[in-house]
Amino acid sequence: MSTIYPESLMPELAPPESRPPRLPLGIALILPAQLTLLLVVLAPTLIILWLCVTDWQPTSGTAWHAAEYIGFYNFQDLFYDRRFTDALLRTILVVLVCVGLEFLIALGLALLFLDDWPWRRLAIGVLILPMMVIPVDAANAFFMLFNDHGPVNHVITIVLGRPFTYAWLADPDWALVPIVLAEVWQWTPLMFLLVLAGLTNLPRNQVRAAVSLGASPARILFRIMLPLAAPVLILALLIRGIETFKIFDSIYILTRGGPGAATESLSIFMYNGAFVYFRIGYIAAAALLVLVAVILFCIPLDRLRRRHGG
Amino acid sequence: MSQRKSDVTNRKRRRFLQAGAAATAAFAVAPGAFNREARAAGALENVHNDAAAAAKKLAGGRPVTLKILEPSGSLGNVKPVAERFTAATGINVEFIEVPLGEINQKVLLEAVSKSGAFDIALPATFGIPDLVEAGILVNLDQYAQKYEPAGFGDDSLYATGDFYKGSRYGYQTDGDTYLAFYRKDWLADKEENKRFSDKHGRPLAVPETWEEFDALLAHFHRPDQGKFGGALFRTQYFIAWEFWSRYHAKGFYPFDGDLNPQINNEAGIKALEELVAASKHLYPGARTNGLFENFEAYGQGDKFANVGWGGTQKYLNGPKSKVAGKLAFGPLPGGKVNNKLLKTPYFNWGWNYVVTTTSKEPEIAYLFTLYATSPVLSTIAVRDAGGYFDPFREAHYKDPEIIKVYTPEFLKAHHASLKDSIPDLYLKGQGEYFDELRVNLTAADVGKKTPKQALDDTAAAWQRITRRLGKRSQVVQWQFLKSIYPDDVRTALV
Repeated sequence: MSTIYPESLMPELAPPESRPPRLPLGIALILPAQLTLLLVVLAPTLIILWLCVTDWQPTSGTAWHAAEYIGFYNFQDLFYDRRFTDALLRTILVVLVCVGLEFLIALGLALLFLDDWPWRRLAIGVLILPMMVIPVDAANAFFMLFNDHGPVNHVITIVLGRPFTYAWLADPDWALVPIVLAEVWQWTPLMFLLVLAGLTNLPRNQVRAAVSLGASPARILFRIMLPLAAPVLILALLIRGIETFKIFDSIYILTRGGPGAATESLSIFMYNGAFVYFRIGYIAAAALLVLVAVILFCIPLDRLRRRHGG
Repeated sequence: MSQRKSDVTNRKRRRFLQAGAAATAAFAVAPGAFNREARAAGALENVHNDAAAAAKKLAGGRPVTLKILEPSGSLGNVKPVAERFTAATGINVEFIEVPLGEINQKVLLEAVSKSGAFDIALPATFGIPDLVEAGILVNLDQYAQKYEPAGFGDDSLYATGDFYKGSRYGYQTDGDTYLAFYRKDWLADKEENKRFSDKHGRPLAVPETWEEFDALLAHFHRPDQGKFGGALFRTQYFIAWEFWSRYHAKGFYPFDGDLNPQINNEAGIKALEELVAASKHLYPGARTNGLFENFEAYGQGDKFANVGWGGTQKYLNGPKSKVAGKLAFGPLPGGKVNNKLLKTPYFNWGWNYVVTTTSKEPEIAYLFTLYATSPVLSTIAVRDAGGYFDPFREAHYKDPEIIKVYTPEFLKAHHASLKDSIPDLYLKGQGEYFDELRVNLTAADVGKKTPKQALDDTAAAWQRITRRLGKRSQVVQWQFLKSIYPDDVRTALV
């Protein structure tokens, strides 16, 4: 029921105060984070997109925003730059070999460590030590190992029974081997931890059922354990793949990309371009191409992970 | 060309450069402000005192500190000079050491960061064009006009790298000409002489050409007996310098007049083939050892020849070397062009005092560089047996202590090489041009590319670099660079 007052009897209401419009609470809460994200991700990305179409060199004295627009010349130049394309292919090769080896070794080790046995924890602690070493130090150790007069040649000398002095790091066919070994030695422990975590958390019932039905260990591994652990394993491969794609320290210390450009990875190529010759525009274009390549590489892996319920 | 005539032409060249710089500077300074000629007479012996007095006056009792960015290993050369400067002026001098292969990069970074971290730097001379183009080096013309006495550079044997586009940007403080080292006792061995003579029809001797040099390497290379032909560099950072000399000795410039690469011509391919063939007669560490390892390896006494600088001789003449007193020296070998011997000694490194544009005290910094490269103080610097700086002034070759450090035989060869040295590639982008060359030469040396492929790839990369850096201005500088090659070399090169 409502009461109707004649207008004359209505109390005189003051006009409503003009308040600033309020943001909905949800937007207000996420806005700072979004703005920060915008600042740290979008702004540099836009700057890189601009630099890609310029020939900006900070040493030229021109500000980045005033750099000369050169269209898609950098991309065209990259297409004809054998060092870039070779570095890209070489990096992909290193990723495949390193991550493949790390995965296989890590899987083998993880299976050994699935069951509880005396000193297991201590053994895990020892196994993961390499990944705690500073990468430059690890690379330095491998530099000394593969030196002409280093322990590797010494051991081979003992085995062969005659002097063996091979310049591993000066041979374009072999120089990548110490680099791959250094990388595998240092980062297999991380892969091992990820794989072990994945396998340890598998539901035990299915494995027990398979054992009771007389399935062979290999069958249990390939038909039950690996498919079940696939989301974690794919994630581990993704993480190590992306990390290895950025390989720098070991190459810089062991060969600096040589002999010639035989071990030049994308990171080394970009370092030289950006910080030795200051070709920022050119390297921005290279970085953009690489980013697109990495995304294209990761998309199918991520789909695979989702398909396995990751 | 006779030595005397060559001396004269070199001096003329230096005077031309200095005159050019002075003329440029004359527009920038107030007329009548300085009376350079009046100070000329007798000023040369006292230039260090004058520079120190002027620096002291400029400091005016303020606490001034100069910071010098120097390549690690050169402190022995710079510190005694700096200590004397501090004693004379009250101006403090501090040092920042960086690895010798990275110093030019650090100076370039300063052009970007503009931190003002150092006032003076000692970059490798070949990097000066890039540093100038980056705007990090102070044009010293104005200061030189004000303070440098006439004739200051007259007894300097190599000053080409101090100038870029007609202006002075630095003072050479290291006579880094590339020299060849040979085992004198091996050359004098009668049995070896007979063996060599039977095969080649001539006695063993210091070679005049690269072909003769290579024949000697092959002759003495007997790894089964623990003897090696040579200790020449095959590491990436160093390999291009030997090729540069071998190529020039064939009678060609690396570019034609319009800066189109001609390094991949027949002469270039032949030069690279010869370099690759010579690699078979080197010791096992040639492809991995750097500068100091090279000194040590050759100092062991089981290799016939080497190439290097004054610093190499300082080590080889020192207590750790087994070859002290057993060496013969010469400028790098040359080649036969139109049946005439063409020698192309090569100045390929050398440290150069420069002043940075980020310095808060550029004038005092300039005065320090003048002080440090003056006849008296540069002699003190070169004397250091452990440092890099090598003789570059006539006076240095007469200093008893310097003679003792290097030996008279070495200094004779060094003098002959330095005064007629061809310049390095003083172009903008020198680092990039040489990086491409190094990478491809190494690829050829290790058999990954044929010499032709390697040089074709280098030429293609050079074309791209030139196009990007601006062909027109590069051509102008290249034409200038060609004009300051030593006269006898210039007339022989195509």
